[in-house]
Amino acid sequence: MKNRVPFREGLFEEAAGKGSLIGARCRQCGQIIFPGRETCLNCLGQDLEPVHLSRNGKLYTYTIVHMPSEHFESPYAVGWIELKEGIKVFSQIRGWQEYPLKIGMDMELAFEKLWDEADREVVGYVFRPARNGAGA
Amino acid sequence: MREVAIIGVGSTVFGKLPEKLPYQLGAEAARAAVQDAGITPKDIQFAYCANLYGGMVIGQAVLGEIGITDIELTNIENACAGGATALRKGWWDIASGLYDVGIVVGVESMTTSPVAGKLIPPARGDITGELGMNMVARFALSQRRYMDMFNISLEQIAQVSVKNHRNGCLNPYSQYRKELTIEEIVNSRPICEPITLLQCCPATDGAAAVILTSRDLAGRYTRKPVFIAASVLKSGDYSFRWEDITFSDMTYKCTRSAYEMAGLGPEDVDVCELHDAFAVNELLHYVELGFCKRGEEVRLLEDGVTELGGKLPVNTSGGLLSKGHPVSASGVAQIAELVWQLRGQAGGRQVTGAKVGLAHVIGGEVTGLESGAVAVHILKT
Repeated sequence: MKNRVPFREGLFEEAAGKGSLIGARCRQCGQIIFPGRETCLNCLGQDLEPVHLSRNGKLYTYTIVHMPSEHFESPYAVGWIELKEGIKVFSQIRGWQEYPLKIGMDMELAFEKLWDEADREVVGYVFRPARNGAGA
Repeated sequence: MREVAIIGVGSTVFGKLPEKLPYQLGAEAARAAVQDAGITPKDIQFAYCANLYGGMVIGQAVLGEIGITDIELTNIENACAGGATALRKGWWDIASGLYDVGIVVGVESMTTSPVAGKLIPPARGDITGELGMNMVARFALSQRRYMDMFNISLEQIAQVSVKNHRNGCLNPYSQYRKELTIEEIVNSRPICEPITLLQCCPATDGAAAVILTSRDLAGRYTRKPVFIAASVLKSGDYSFRWEDITFSDMTYKCTRSAYEMAGLGPEDVDVCELHDAFAVNELLHYVELGFCKRGEEVRLLEDGVTELGGKLPVNTSGGLLSKGHPVSASGVAQIAELVWQLRGQAGGRQVTGAKVGLAHVIGGEVTGLESGAVAVHILKT
């Protein structure tokens, strides 16, 4: 069994495929940012708290990429998912072969292998068409 | 502040030129600009050279080839806006009175770059880049939403590529000089859906250069100076403030500043070179540049307003789609095209009586921002 490692530290909490994205909310101006930071990028305030972002969102836009990238064979899908907090998250999209993507459809967060790196399995967030609302 | 004049421009022919080293391309363009200005290399007091992939101190290598050494020389990187950024810096060095004569060069060899044959990714370690973002996907994401929200067809978007390739046929500097049909464009292979190959600018090698001086000194060198009425450069704002992926806030803001600086408006523009790295970009930029209202961009194109012979021809050079896109050279090459247009030297693609030209470039992808940089220049006779 390969070691599972997050593709970047501090972006999410995850265990066995369950978890959430970790952003930050500014206690001064209310702005939510992802990834989280120690300084609010909106008002430059220093008083921020970590927040678990919602696991569901709407597909804002997407594309299916037909040339390989550094880590992904083609074709693969990426898109922006709009969360109810009002921010958009760029993500790999999985499950698009089974459920044709459509702007506005419900999406849900999952944690899956992104790529392999020697003896490590690199894990990150992806979004999938929501099971109860696929194609909606 | 002094008014700044362009007294010389030069360019290589654009194309796939892997046999030429980047500094050789740059030197060819710089030599042409110096000759066009009727000056000697010794007259040049400062230089900016824009480049992304060519390596260490490429400006020194470029200008060392043509006898320009021992001056203030700065190399610049700002992705697709690099060339325009170099021009902006050169503009200020003249406008401020720091120097009297300088050269701005943009040079790129994409076919010999580390990204040759690939979709251009953001810098190493960028989060969205690691997750599969590239420059085509960036604008495919805009195009998908634009098509769905505004009920735009791929055929309508492909018309931009048809127009610009038709213009490219008239430009001896253009990488492609071949007309395309809507069917060829739509049916070419998908790159990042819904963007197909022929909706994309090609990989291009090339360079362009301009010579700057002040309005007062321009008369010594030329009877047809072209003046820089506005020069504005902006970095991207945070994407959490960016409401709509089909509308570039940074282009809009930059353009408004440029019109204000020039004391001109979109109705004054006779000819425009804008950033058509992908066909859809041209339509979206029409709105941000003030050429039409939201929802009217396809009609502007279909009515022929932006084609040669129309009221506001756009990308007469062939644009990035047909003339090609040697990344850091494009912002300078746009200026060369506008100067030829404003001097009446644009041959078969001449816009009759053109007096005001606008150049726009945008580029660079980085996590958390709309884009890297945008620049708008307005030229006038």
